[in-house]
Parts: sequence; C-alpha cells; structure tokens
Amino acid sequence: MPLITRRAASSRHKTSTKDVLSEINGEIDDASTRNVNGTSKSINDEVINTENGLKTPKRNNKRASKLACNGHTDESDTETSSPPKQPKSDPALFSPSSLIRNLRIDDQPDKEERSKSPRKSSLSRYGNARKVLNGAETDDLPGREAEIQELRSFFLSHLESGTSGSLYVSGQPGTGKTACLTHILRSEEISSNFTKVYINCTGVSTVGSIYKKICTELRLKLDGKTEKDSLRAIEKYLSGKHKMLLMILDEVDQLAGRKQSILYTIFEWPAKPNSKLVLVSIANQLDLTDRTLTRLNAKCDLKPKLMHFSPYSREQLITIFKSRLEAAGVLNVFSPGTLQLLSAKVAAVSGDVRRALDIGRRVVELAEQQQKKPKSKVDLTELGIDGSPPKKQNQTTQGAVPMQLVVSVLNNVYGASQTLSNDIEDTFPLQQKILICCLLLILENDKNKDITIGRLHDVFKRVCSKRNLMAVDQAEFVGLCSLVETRGIVRVIGKKEPRLSKIVLQWDQGEVTAALKDKQLIAAILQDTLCLKR
Amino acid sequence: RLSLVGTPKRNIQLSNIVEEVLFNGNSSLAESNRTNTPRRSRKINSTYDEDFICDEPKTPKRQKTSTSTPSSKSSAMTPTQKMKLIRSGAISAAIESRDNPLKRRKSDFEVARERLHVSAVPQSLPCREQEFDNIYTFLEGKLQDQCGGCMYVSGVPGTGKTATVTGVIRALKRDAELDIVPEFDYIEINGMRLTEPRQAYVQIYKQLTGKTVSWEHAHALLEKRFTTPGPRRQTTILLVDELDILCNRRQDVVYSLLDWPTKSTARLVVVTIANTMDLPERMLMSKVTSRLGLTRLTFQPYSHKQLQEIVTARLSGSEAFKGDAVQLVARKVAAVSGDARRALDICRRATEIAEETTKDKTVSMMHVQKALNEMIATLKVQAIKKCSKLEKLFLQAVAAEVARTGIEETTFLGVYTQLESIAAFMGVTVPVLGRALQICSKLGAERLLICEHSRTDIFMKILLNVSSDDIYFALQLKNN
Repeated sequence: MPLITRRAASSRHKTSTKDVLSEINGEIDDASTRNVNGTSKSINDEVINTENGLKTPKRNNKRASKLACNGHTDESDTETSSPPKQPKSDPALFSPSSLIRNLRIDDQPDKEERSKSPRKSSLSRYGNARKVLNGAETDDLPGREAEIQELRSFFLSHLESGTSGSLYVSGQPGTGKTACLTHILRSEEISSNFTKVYINCTGVSTVGSIYKKICTELRLKLDGKTEKDSLRAIEKYLSGKHKMLLMILDEVDQLAGRKQSILYTIFEWPAKPNSKLVLVSIANQLDLTDRTLTRLNAKCDLKPKLMHFSPYSREQLITIFKSRLEAAGVLNVFSPGTLQLLSAKVAAVSGDVRRALDIGRRVVELAEQQQKKPKSKVDLTELGIDGSPPKKQNQTTQGAVPMQLVVSVLNNVYGASQTLSNDIEDTFPLQQKILICCLLLILENDKNKDITIGRLHDVFKRVCSKRNLMAVDQAEFVGLCSLVETRGIVRVIGKKEPRLSKIVLQWDQGEVTAALKDKQLIAAILQDTLCLKR
Repeated sequence: RLSLVGTPKRNIQLSNIVEEVLFNGNSSLAESNRTNTPRRSRKINSTYDEDFICDEPKTPKRQKTSTSTPSSKSSAMTPTQKMKLIRSGAISAAIESRDNPLKRRKSDFEVARERLHVSAVPQSLPCREQEFDNIYTFLEGKLQDQCGGCMYVSGVPGTGKTATVTGVIRALKRDAELDIVPEFDYIEINGMRLTEPRQAYVQIYKQLTGKTVSWEHAHALLEKRFTTPGPRRQTTILLVDELDILCNRRQDVVYSLLDWPTKSTARLVVVTIANTMDLPERMLMSKVTSRLGLTRLTFQPYSHKQLQEIVTARLSGSEAFKGDAVQLVARKVAAVSGDARRALDICRRATEIAEETTKDKTVSMMHVQKALNEMIATLKVQAIKKCSKLEKLFLQAVAAEVARTGIEETTFLGVYTQLESIAAFMGVTVPVLGRALQICSKLGAERLLICEHSRTDIFMKILLNVSSDDIYFALQLKNN
C-alpha cells in the first residue's frame, strides 16, 4: 500500500513539475535518461521556488524530488539500485537575493540526512547523556505548555479576525522565549497563513538599517538606498493588499536609540488601518515598553500585549532533565537526589535552563573523564609526536554520576572566593599574596580607606624590606596589581596615572582574611601595623 | 615584442614582488613560510608605482596598449585588477626571501639561545598535561556528538593558554587523519589583530572561503551558513583569542559568535581565551553570559618547580646552563608572576651576558643575577641620582612639603617655600621663581613628578610620582 501511494504522489508531483517545465522552456525530452530527468527536476523545483515565491521549505522540496526520482526508477525499469547522486542545485540559479530569501528560521535539519550521517560512533551511556544535554534549540519544550497555548491562541484569534496586534515577550535569558516562538512557527496552521519575518536585532549594523533588513526579508523593491526609501516601501506594503504578516523582532532592546523614533515607528505599524500585521518583540527587560516607550500608553490600540516568561522552577527543570534523559534511554545516569540538588540550586539563582543543562553536561563530562583516567593516562609526548591513537575506554560499568561532582561544579560556578584557599596553597605567586595582605592590612588598620597604588606600594616595600624580600619597583608593581585584578580579587579604578589610581578589594574582606590566615608569614604581616606609618 | 617593450613599471613590480597565481585554490600552494598579508604587498606595490612615476612619466596611451595585449596579460595588471585578485584570494601574499641562510656550526650558547626563544613552541608542553587532557576531552566529545558548544579558557599572560589549545587542535588534526575523530575545520581569530570587533566576521569568512568581503556581507553569509542545515557540513572549531577586545558596548559580535553554536544546524564549537577569570560576569551582558555556558578552565600561574621543568625541557641535551642558575630564575619569576615567557627571556639574556663576558662554556648564577638586575631594574633611583643639584633640591623640597602637610598633593608655592629654606640651609643660592618653574616642568617631563594641571604658575599642583623613600634613599639622606 505505501508503495502505491508513494507512486501516486510522485507521479502527481511529476506531472505538475512537467507542466511548469514545459511552460518555462518548452523543450524537455520525455525519453531523456533518468539522470538528466532527475537533475532537471531539481533545477525545476528551484525555478518554481524562486519565480513564484512559493514557500515550500527546503526539506519538503528535497524529499519530493527524491521521491519523484524513486518513482521514476520503479516505473521505467526494475532495477532497485539507489538513485544516483544528484547535484543539489544548479549554482547558476542562486542569485544573492534568492539566497537571502531562503534564509528562514523554520528550516529544520533533515532527519533522513542526519540518520545516515557518515560516522556512527558507538557512544557510551555517558556519551548519550552528554549529547542529549546540549543547549541547542529543540522542539520539545516541557514546562512551557501554557505559554505556547497562549501564544497560539493569540496568533489564531488575530488570524481569524484579520486584525493586527502587538505582543511584547519578556523574560530572563534562557527561559525559552525564542524556542517557544520557533516551535509555534513550525506548526502548519500558522506557518501557512502568515508571511513570516524573523529578525534578530543584534545583527543590524546601525539602528536605522533595520528597515533595510525588513525590506530584504519581505522582498520589497526599493526605489533608493536611504533609510527613508526603505521605510516608505514598507509602509506602502503595509497599506496595500497583502497576506497576514507576522513580524518577530528578537532582542528588540538593541534598537533603542536616543530618541526611540525607530521603536515608535515599528510599534505604531500595527495600529495602521488595514496593516494586518502581528508584531512580536522579544527582549530581556520586563518593562521595556513602559520605560522607553511611554508615548504608547497614550493610545489604547497601540499598547502591546505583555507576556512574561518566568524563570524555570525546580520542578520544571527536573521535568526537562527527565524528558531529555528518558528520550535517550539513560535516565539512571542522574540519581533523583542529584537532579533535585542541581535544579534546586539553579532555580534558586537564575532559573536559566541553558545554565542547568550546561552544569548537567559538565558533570557528565567530568564523570566520564574520571572514569577514563586510571585506564589511559594521557601521555603528552605520545599525543604530540607519535602517531599512536589514544586508547579507547571500554564501556562496561557506567552508573550514576557521583553527587560530589555536582557539588564541585556548582561551587566552581557560584563561589568564586572559595577557590582562593585552594590556589593559595600551591601556585599563587608570593608577591601577589603579600600584595593582598598589604591591602587587607591597610583596610583593617588605617582610617583612610581610599587606597591608591602609590600608598599600597609604600606599605608593600616596607613589609618586604622587613622580611628581607626583594620588593618589586613601581612599574612592576602596577603590573602585579593588574595580574591580581584578572583573578577578580581587586579592581583598579582610573588607569590614567598609575600611581594615583585607586585599588578596591572586590571580595568579602572577612572571607579573604580567613583564607589567608592559616599561613604563618601572612598572619605575621597582617599583625604588623608598624609598616603603615607614613 | 610589444610585451617586452611595454611599460617597465610592470617589470619592476614583478621583479620586486614574488607572487604566484593559485589555480583552483590549492593546486600549487606557496611555500610554507608565506604569511597572509595581502595588504602589505599592495602597499609595497603602490610605493614602487609612485616612485617610478616620479622618475620617468609614461604616456597613458602606451600603457593602455601594453595592458590590452593578451600576451602580457598575466604580468601586466592595473592596481584595480590586482586588488580584485587579492580580495578573491587568487593571489597569495609573499615576502621576499633572503638568498640562503648562514650555514656554520653553532656554538653551545647559540643553540641554547635558539631553543630558549619564546617563539619556539615545543612539541609537547610540560606541566600542562591536565589542561591538555581537559580541552582534548571537551573538543573530542563535541566532534563525536556533532553538536556545538562553547568553552572559556582564562589565565594570566604567559601561562600557556594559546599554546595548549593549538596543541590540542594539532593532536585532533592528526587523529582526524587517522580516522579516530571526525574531520573538522579550524578557524582562528585574535581580537588584538582586528581593527574593529566587526572585522571578526571578515576574518572568519576569509578563513572559510579565502575571499575578502565587507563585514555586513560576511555577517549575512555566515548567518546563512550557520542557520541553514547543510547535510555534509563538518564541525567547525573556532578559536577566539583575546575575547575581551571583542566586547564593545553593544556586544553584538560576541553575541553572534556565541549564539551560532546554540543553533543545531551550525555544528560550531567556540573556544574563547581571555585573561580575566571573571570576564563573563564582569563585562558581558547576561544574555551573552548565558550563552557562553559554564564550561570553564583556568590556567594557574606556573610554580617555580614547573618553570624549572620548562626551562630544562627546552635545554635538554645542552650543557650551557647550570642547574642552580635555572632554579634562581624560576624562583624569582614564580614569586612575581609565574610567567613562562619572562623566565625564558631572562634565561636568554643570561646566555647573552655569559657569551660576551666569560670564556667559560656555562651560564652561572652570576650571569643570571646580572640579567635579573637588568630586567627588574629600579630605574627611578638611578634617574634621581643623575639629576642636577638643583633638581635634587627641588625633589627634596617636594618630599618635605608632603611630609609637612600629610597630603600627597602640594602646590608650587608651598614647595618653593620649602626649597628656599633648604637652599638656605645648604648654602646654595635660591633659584628665582621662573627658574624653579623650569626645573619643575623638566622633572614633570621625566615623570618623576606629576604636574597635574599644566598651567605654569605658582598655584600649580604637584604630585610625587616616586615614593619619598626612594628620594631619601637616592640622595643618601636619613628618613625624618
């Protein structure tokens, strides 16, 4: 049965393309070889696409041509070999404008192509988990059903009534704003009834060039090259007869200029009569429309509908992890307690799903690395010079990742100064340690808390000479300060005149003192108030 | 023939600039020592053009005929044509090579110096095995999974960040040839080499295709490449060095570089390198930080043992250095910064000193100490010692005034009063006001003083740019 339907579909497709083909160049040989036929067909598809502005996504297009080709094989002769390789498209048919037109956000990776990717690596369970936990966009969005439903009903209601509307979506980074919108755009009922324009506003060079970008997305003909011409073309398009238009502006706060005139212009488009435009703007700030676009409040019909994506809660993060891991069949990589800990910690700080997935992946990576370590100690000379491959791990026992790893990754992320005490032990250079001690000494015992580098250097020199260490001179000392600054411990303000620039301790004073105290030398320095005298 | 008679200008061009037209990209690749600086050749070219025009002007008609003849087509090009070829990547840039390198037996010192040079990156990096392993696992996993990702590598200068990452890439390239990991493309940009953050797009596109286009165009093409699915696309590894230079106020470049890996179609792995440990939290916007992710790696400064190991690994086989000399260098450097470049530089300088002073074949502690003194020199004390007598008095007066008021900032009037009393005490004639102002401006130009506002009158504010201890020390005076 499926074969028959396939054949029928393909033959239908073939006839339609053939018609168009004969219309266009009128000289296609029916008895031409399969190969030529196939290529011409694919070329043909491109022609239709570019000529009529037909909006079949690329994927359908490709599959259709493949099916057509298959059908042809079946009909013409009985050999069941795979179809010969076809050139993807004729390069001559790609004008730059058609290339840009093909840029669409709803293009999704071809599933067939992906499954027959050349290298089928035998992944371990950790590998599977790692692969599943990447931060790339997915279709599957657990925990956002309500928002998706709301967006869908918003679009559909405007579609039914034919009216234009405006929507402002806000939310912290990593709460799934763009993912939800792309997910909805992929659905059939919306993608077929709207002309869609998706623009990420970070890509525009100047604020004004957004108009030009919209024009290219809408494929409008321009009279001139200036901003005004583009604007006029868009407004002419909006007032004329057209399909419903769905315009999505991602990271819209990048367009905020000094006078906000462009934001106002864009936000006022939906209010134009007969514009049939649904405008969706996405940004991080909750109150962008209230703060920067105060004039919109004056007219009721201009006010955009607000929608907020709240950060993911603990339960939602757990569901996301579970659904992803379950899909890969490696649910037991994370024990329930580990998952709880991870998601609770992330939800408490930011609720950023990218961050949560990142931590998860990092934990799996570390676990994998730890497991690998005892077996094959990576010898650097071997890796660098010889041709021998690093040994493969055998994938026998891979249980749940240990909870300590999660804790250590979380500590690395959220606690910066806790790492100081580890570093102090081994590799923190001595002079830098003394520098921090001197800073603490001044902060604790001196009245004047405004510390310049010159003052710090004086104290530093006295401390060093008291302990028979060689003190670095001033130029070197400024370099030393900037080295400490890269660790985030201090901050140097005012770089113009090195001796006069101020130096401020960034971390908590008590914490740093505690971290430094257990060393004898350092404790002695911290006691020594005599060095402070001018 | 006409082509031979044709404008000698073209011939001069050819004789001066070695160039080669590449057919189909890589069929006849240039020698390995050629670098990609198309601009340079263009510049040289144009100067030669101008020179020649000054010497011997040619009638334009004649030039036209010579360029139009097909026989001389390959040799004669207008600057526009040449520029076009450079932009399309058909001509590779070359620099003139010297005749033949010197061939003679090198002395022990010379061999050591060559090995100690910072640019001679060894095959394997000692003391960075763990970091190497870390980055290798990350990149290998990304390649196997065929997905994108980001990594942030930080650490103070000279701790081997870039060397380790490029070493990992080299190992991966070799493994890809042996078919252990999938093939991949490698692109590398450096924030410091770009005149403007957006030029990053141009560089990336150039390394992908070899063509030079404007940044808007490059951005659009890259966006197209990374957002549309390409079934036969390889994973691309992009190394971004000096990330903090790419952060402008809008941060659009960093945003796009880190946003592409999140697209499932891109297969882009971005490795970013910077000095600051907390750069994502300090400088980047939250949406960029969220995309940067949490895979981070910090390179700690080298300890003295590690520095010693690095230097001895470089000198392996050569007897030029004494063991305790290396140890002294390592300890001195590790106490200050833990910068490997610095240790190598000091060692090189020590060999130079040893070569010119002793007949001995080894570098001893003394030479190292001398080199250290040169590198970590206290120039300011020297400068004060070499000052004229009145300048010394003036500095002393400033220090005295600072001690009297307790504030670092002094006015010229107060200093002049102090100067008068000191001069009277020493039995020197007091310089007149104009003279004293001249002395003050001279010391300001030397940066021993900071004359904050450059109004030269008696209310000028003066700050010491050296510590008063240094002044007392240099003038052999007792403190207080």
